[in-house]
Amino acid sequence: MNTAFFIQTAASGVAIALLVALAAWAKIARPGSPLTDAYARALFAQEFPGRILDGVWIAGDGAGAVAKSGGLALVLCQVGDAYMARQLPWAQALAASFRDGRVRIDLADAGAPCATLVMPAWPPQGLEKVRGVRAA
Amino acid sequence: MSIAFEPVKLATPFFIATVILEIVLARAGKIRAHYETRDTAVSLGMGLGSQVAGVLTAGASFAAAVWVYQYRLFAIPMTAVWAWVALFLLEDMTYYWFHRISHERRFWWASHVNHHTSQHYNLSTALRQTWTGGLAGTWLLWLPLSFLGFPPAMVAIQKGLSLVYQYWIHTEAIRRMPAWFEAVFNTPSHHRVHHARNPRYLDRNYAGILIVWDRLFGTFQPELDEEACRYGIVRNLGGFNIFRVAFHEWIGIVQDILRQPRHTLGWLFGPPGWSPDGSRDTSARLKAQWAAANPAAAEASVPTPAAPQESRAGT
Ligand SMILES: [Zn+2]
Ligand SMILES: [Zn+2]
Repeated sequence: MNTAFFIQTAASGVAIALLVALAAWAKIARPGSPLTDAYARALFAQEFPGRILDGVWIAGDGAGAVAKSGGLALVLCQVGDAYMARQLPWAQALAASFRDGRVRIDLADAGAPCATLVMPAWPPQGLEKVRGVRAA
Repeated sequence: MSIAFEPVKLATPFFIATVILEIVLARAGKIRAHYETRDTAVSLGMGLGSQVAGVLTAGASFAAAVWVYQYRLFAIPMTAVWAWVALFLLEDMTYYWFHRISHERRFWWASHVNHHTSQHYNLSTALRQTWTGGLAGTWLLWLPLSFLGFPPAMVAIQKGLSLVYQYWIHTEAIRRMPAWFEAVFNTPSHHRVHHARNPRYLDRNYAGILIVWDRLFGTFQPELDEEACRYGIVRNLGGFNIFRVAFHEWIGIVQDILRQPRHTLGWLFGPPGWSPDGSRDTSARLKAQWAAANPAAAEASVPTPAAPQESRAGT
């Protein structure tokens, strides 16, 4: 490696900073709106086709959702102007830590280690009314 | 060791100018393009990091090519037009198989996956290049060209030209090229399909410059008006940490091996999404599930000869 290489790399770094600033200025991300029940169900249907949802809980800020589908928890989380989805055993999701109005679900995945969702309570409210859940 | 003519380096100002153009025209409402700020930063950062990583490994891979070249079968002149035509075809076919193995086997997917981690498809996505290609060893696939007798510098130039060609196809601004062009060349439309995570689009269109390889080897899938591309990987990443983009699949492999060392070979060389108990999804399974749920659409889809159809189901 020589001086020319470092100059080139530094110049590229400056160019990147300018391009990112331009992208921020342009405000041309996908137009999105906070998740509603219908929107979340549509996304769950896309991510987990054919799965029957026993219950859906939308994050308070609309930036995610959790669904119960049989023995599985399906999780949606906003990432920029898009979403990522994961599934995990329902019991594992129930065991997630809940503090300051946020549930932090361990996804055990190097690509998305955890999902943090704004929720009024955890386990989610109304769970006892969901199909397949016996009253405690 | 280095070569005097480096297409990627020479094209960098063109990359920058066209990203600016795409952003400005999209902002003006003239073309279709979406840029998310952090996504753009990661794509461009991966591009720069890839150049830096390339400097560290290019010397070794070029030296290997020079070593192999000593034992060449033929003396192929760098100045002959036929030699360039032959190299164009052979290099492009090499790229096809490199790209296909990069999707069908997890070890090589771990290096290539980062290129697919964006949920966007714009010119900056093209620059989201691997940092770990040297480690994955896929450069070995190009050594036979030097063994045949193509000078290593000539091969390096052609590889660079191919990469530069593949830049412009990362855009939603161009819907379709003329039919004759779509028939022969890789285009924005064909490559959008390659970046899509819709089950019917998974593991299709591995082409570099010529789409004919996909048509020939049964992996071609045209973009369908009724099915818009959804970009990214089967299990999209949970954030914009550039190190996670670069290394998450490698980390996943190591974690899986540590957990179940007796399945090391499967974890390394099985298709992405493979697991000993079948608890994860491979592309093949996702495609089969989709076809079962959409028999009419699956029937109408372009028939593809039996071939390993896996991957993109990164963990
Ligand atoms: Zn690919
Ligand atoms: Zn691409």
